[in-house]
Amino acid sequence: MKHILLGVMMVMSVSVMAQTTDSSFSSKPGNSRYMIRGYGDANFISGEGKTSFGNARFVPLFIYKQSDRLLFESELEFEIENGEVEIALEYANFYYQLTPNMTVRMGKILIPFGTFFDRLHPSWINKLPTVPLGYGHDGLLPTSDLGIELRGATFLAGMRANYSAYMTNGPRLNDGEEEADEIGMIVPKADIDNNKNKAFGGRFGLFPFADQSLEIGFSAQSAKLGNEGSEFEDIGAFLYAFDWTLVKNVSALGGRVDLRGQLNFVNIDNRPYDILENGNLETFDFDNKSKTSFYQLAYRPTFGSQFIQNLELVGRYSTLTTPEEAPWESESTQLTFGLNYWMDWRSAIKIAFQSDEVEGGHDSPGLTKTDLFFIQWTIGF
Amino acid sequence: MKKNNILFTMAFVIFTTMMIVAGCAAPAHISEKGGAQLWGESCGRCHNTASPSTFSDVDWDIAVKHMQFRAQISQEEANKIVEFLKSAN
Repeated sequence: MKHILLGVMMVMSVSVMAQTTDSSFSSKPGNSRYMIRGYGDANFISGEGKTSFGNARFVPLFIYKQSDRLLFESELEFEIENGEVEIALEYANFYYQLTPNMTVRMGKILIPFGTFFDRLHPSWINKLPTVPLGYGHDGLLPTSDLGIELRGATFLAGMRANYSAYMTNGPRLNDGEEEADEIGMIVPKADIDNNKNKAFGGRFGLFPFADQSLEIGFSAQSAKLGNEGSEFEDIGAFLYAFDWTLVKNVSALGGRVDLRGQLNFVNIDNRPYDILENGNLETFDFDNKSKTSFYQLAYRPTFGSQFIQNLELVGRYSTLTTPEEAPWESESTQLTFGLNYWMDWRSAIKIAFQSDEVEGGHDSPGLTKTDLFFIQWTIGF
Repeated sequence: MKKNNILFTMAFVIFTTMMIVAGCAAPAHISEKGGAQLWGESCGRCHNTASPSTFSDVDWDIAVKHMQFRAQISQEEANKIVEFLKSAN
């Protein structure tokens, strides 16, 4: 672990030195440029009998612009988990500009399925310290994967629009070998390419108003999930999502309103699954459809003193429903309220209260309620 | 699911062709926008807008090119935004 950390730090030091040399001291700097950006955060969590300084993260984003057409970006995530520093490659991809408004991207890419993960996941952008249901542990939705994508800006019937179309290794199916009570669940994590099939997907976003205050989007993805040669090989999944974003200064409300949401549907081919429970073979035959959503509203005043204008109120409601009769059947709701203080355009202290209700679930059947209090200090750089 | 994949492939080809054709020229009411307006509209869609003084001219070239690809901003819009940021920093 120490060797990996040392190696990464050396690479980054060289990058920073190269940037400094190019940017500050050379009168003819050439066309190639490096930039280190990213974010970091520190967290405090209280609730359920525990009070502790939780996770701390350092997430450097390395950008290399070789020319006006060719760019490479990569984001690493260092975080403390169970007392150890964990490292993850969030994404690493090339961009090449094919036409003025169309770009190809290849590598480990953020999946443009809806807007949350592609655009909003960095803690200095996400207005709350947590992510909506459907992401994170036992998440159903695609976040990043290895593949290729065409993306860009366009115009349709006098309106501004954007588009993405991608092909990736795709998600896989939990076949019950690792966790029997999660059999039939989609595993969006792109760690293994388990079959020859590739996932196809895309997103189309439209701005109906000239001021681009409203964006509405539709995403879809189709893939086969099963391991090659296994009895589940032909099981496929079709995912689709609707998203919306409204960001507007509303003078009648004396502030900036930020309204966002995403409604996701995950449909997996039906198939009976056999699980050995207490020595007996039990068959689960269920309609493998899940859905998850979030609705978020934020308000930041534009009146009053600078202190007042630095404040932001945020509320988010999130839901997750997994298939009835599945061993992992559950119905979850999550309500989060937050108050942010923006010290800068990219640095904030967030205070939030989150209440979760889960009915069912493989970990603890019955109704479970969890109330948590968070403080997060985040900075983008 | 086989049917879905064929449909997706066909849709992809049609869609890409449409996007290339449609993406060539912006309507007048969009192309008339200035860099400051586009900076507010495009950046503020996801995060607070950066002050022009945040970066040097050289760094703005990289940051805006990066965001052009990430935020799916057109070349014309990106050019106007970077010109505004350089003039105001």
